[in-house]
Amino acid sequence: MIAEKSNTAQLIIDKISSSAEKVNFIDNDQLSKALLYLENKGIPNNKHEDYKYCNIDGIFKKEFRNIEQKLNSVTDVAQYKLKDALTLVVVNGNYSESLSDKLILKGLHLTAFSNLDKEEKKLIGCLANVESDAFIALNTAFSGAGFHLKIADNEQLQMPIHILYVSSANSEALVNPRNVIELGKNAEATIIEEQICIGTGKVFTNFLSEKFVGENAKLTSYTFQNEGANGFSVNTNQVTINRYGKYDNTTVTLSGALVRNNHNVVLAAQNCQAHLNGLFTTRNNQLVDNHTLMDHQMPNCESNELYKGIITDKSTGVFNGKIYVRKDAQKTNAYQSSKNILLSDDATINTKPQLEIYADDVKCSHGTSTGKIDEVAVFYLNARGIGRESAKKLLLNAFAQEVINKIEVDELKEKILNLFENEL
Amino acid sequence: MANEILQEHINKDYEFGFTTNIDSDTFAPGLNEQVVTALSKKKNEPEWLLEFRLKAFRHWQTLPEPSNWAHLHYPKIDFQNISYYSAPKVKPELKSLDEVDPELLKTFAKLGISLEEQKRLSGVQSNIAVDAVFDSVSVKTTFRETLSEKGIIFCSFSEAVHEFPDLIKKYMGTVVPYTDNYFAALNSAVYSDGSFCYIPKGVRCPMELSTYFRINATGTGQFERTLIVADEGSYVSYLEGCTAPQRDENQLHAAIVEIIAHKNAEVKYSTVQNWYPGDKNGKGGIFNFVTKRGICLEDNSKISWTQVETGSAITWKYPSVILKGNNSVGEFYSVALTNNMQEADTGTKMIHIGKNTRSTIISKGISAGFSNNSYRGLVQIRKGATNSRNFSQCDSLLMGDKCGAHTFPYIEIKDKTAVVEHEATTSKIGEDQLFYCKQRGIDNEKAIGLIVNGYCKEVLNKLPMEFAVEAQKLLAVSLEGSVG
Repeated sequence: MIAEKSNTAQLIIDKISSSAEKVNFIDNDQLSKALLYLENKGIPNNKHEDYKYCNIDGIFKKEFRNIEQKLNSVTDVAQYKLKDALTLVVVNGNYSESLSDKLILKGLHLTAFSNLDKEEKKLIGCLANVESDAFIALNTAFSGAGFHLKIADNEQLQMPIHILYVSSANSEALVNPRNVIELGKNAEATIIEEQICIGTGKVFTNFLSEKFVGENAKLTSYTFQNEGANGFSVNTNQVTINRYGKYDNTTVTLSGALVRNNHNVVLAAQNCQAHLNGLFTTRNNQLVDNHTLMDHQMPNCESNELYKGIITDKSTGVFNGKIYVRKDAQKTNAYQSSKNILLSDDATINTKPQLEIYADDVKCSHGTSTGKIDEVAVFYLNARGIGRESAKKLLLNAFAQEVINKIEVDELKEKILNLFENEL
Repeated sequence: MANEILQEHINKDYEFGFTTNIDSDTFAPGLNEQVVTALSKKKNEPEWLLEFRLKAFRHWQTLPEPSNWAHLHYPKIDFQNISYYSAPKVKPELKSLDEVDPELLKTFAKLGISLEEQKRLSGVQSNIAVDAVFDSVSVKTTFRETLSEKGIIFCSFSEAVHEFPDLIKKYMGTVVPYTDNYFAALNSAVYSDGSFCYIPKGVRCPMELSTYFRINATGTGQFERTLIVADEGSYVSYLEGCTAPQRDENQLHAAIVEIIAHKNAEVKYSTVQNWYPGDKNGKGGIFNFVTKRGICLEDNSKISWTQVETGSAITWKYPSVILKGNNSVGEFYSVALTNNMQEADTGTKMIHIGKNTRSTIISKGISAGFSNNSYRGLVQIRKGATNSRNFSQCDSLLMGDKCGAHTFPYIEIKDKTAVVEHEATTSKIGEDQLFYCKQRGIDNEKAIGLIVNGYCKEVLNKLPMEFAVEAQKLLAVSLEGSVG
């Protein structure tokens, strides 16, 4: 269904056009398509099937009436750095060379979009179709900068790369970070993408990443979102996996006023694998919406999804996952599971796990369950001298660990565990 | 190999595709206020009902035709090209069966419905009271006298309008208001007949009540309404069956079923839907757009939907239960089978409002040929529906690589004490299962029938016995030449 037209998109265009850098790495044809799409379709509201439980138009109208784009510069990010990782810092969508570590890793190449040669520029927008989603269109039209990260063929990075996206403004602002991550043949890399929001103004971060996993390559990626009450974000990941390639992602969302994750994975060749895991905790009036698509295009592929949510106060959690198996994708194995715990009377969880299957020799299933804390388990612990509150914490911890344990970078795992325990 | 055998079997023709040659009284195609008024006049309806129809019609005119949110593809329906009334020309006020047009009786005999009040063969106790709706008009209601002794009202909707206007006024449109959706508005404006059933306080209906729908005339649509009211502590089991002749055109069926269950009442509604599904190339067939909804109005009531869907070119149907009373129970058991070019988008809605409400959803989809079969369901736990419980299971079976099976569940929970589970699987008939059967001398076709029946057992078990037998046969027939 086409969303009812609203003028939000036009307002955004007017407000940020003046301050946005001129986009010089996307051809004009795409740019005008993006603008046209935005003007015609607008920012989606809950009439739009894909945004049924996430009325972004409404949030924009309420929270971003006066976009002024007073962006801050950031001078110190030391406290966010991980010891055993190479940190790259992106401030309000712009790569900051001064804050980032030296690119000492063999086989790692980082190039700003504007410095790419003509052939390489073709990669930008290759996976993210500007006419498929309003936020892809918005990002395409206004992301003034972006970078291309390439891991060369046959290279296995010795150290994880930690990309820190910092949004900071003293007014209402909209930023559009963008990147392309490409793993060559047989390459292996671990990439941690962390999003934070500092400063006094509310920032809407519209992030777009296109990820290419080459033949027999392995990309392990972690997304860690902890943006606090001023952070609003739509994060789009468009991933395509080549023959024998493997893509693992674990997304942990601990805070943010609005977090919408669009994670679209295309299993574009035979024998590839994708695993998506997610954990989110929400409180106050937060809204966290995980939207995934596993697009099985070719035979013999495997995908797995596990999403868990803990929802408190008046907050809302959403999980919308689709397994799409095309006609040729015989012998597909696809599983999806979503489990949620509601902790308060005003909390809401909306789940919409979908299967759309056009091939017969497949094994696909999904399961979703929602409930409260198991009183029998609480009683068991009480009987052993553990107080009610501690028992609850223990149980929630156990619930979350299934996802947190998927993180193989110890330092990150500990950091998330600590923050998670503080959240409880 | 199995695929080939399945292909052979899918080619079976629709066995109810005959037409009956009887004079019928049919309106010219077209829809406007005059048609609605004429229809109401024809049926000699009171003023308030005409008002209701006109209100619905005016509302319908303001609605856009539903955009394609369902997983269905069908040509635009030309509502001006449908005749909104067709009735067999019969003498008014039939006193006995002898006066019914013999052609009509033959039709029902062919369909296997006994309109005559004959006792079943020894041993089978359950007699079934039938209300048969032919094209748009209810033809004959059997066992009416026996039922009325118990105070049960079971008659055609038109009769009820005249004889029990208070009940109709009180309940019609309370569960499915005319503003509900496009097809509900259309039905409310032009519905021609249907069945009405009222079970008084504390009465357990001694027999199955049944409605049989048949579209016969060409160029017509069928728009009927069923209203079932179960008063305090009563019980009724209701059956519905449908067939249509084979035609090249698409005919529209847009019905409304409303069920109201009062305190401690229980209603069990079973459907075997076998409208003409169109031919192998997708030509012809019924477009089935039906709004079915029940409300558990008061405490401890229960509504259960069981459906076996094998017919229609397009099925758009979501029998729902609103669980308003505390401790009320909603159930939905469904087998939906699509073959050739059929498309089905069907499922249920369970709206939990009362405390301690429970719902169960078991849906089994089978797709063969080039068909697409979708489950679309909503489970909604409203705030305050404490200790609600839902369990949903949606399985799909694919036969052949040209068809599609889809699952679109919507789960919305606003209460922390609710426990909701949903699971869905998609698979095909295993070669090893087939091999096992064949090894034991069961041929491929029978083996497939066996496996499919086993797969649907949980649902078929819920059907009343007579229907279960019919449903099993229907599944076997519908699958002939299709399985792989």
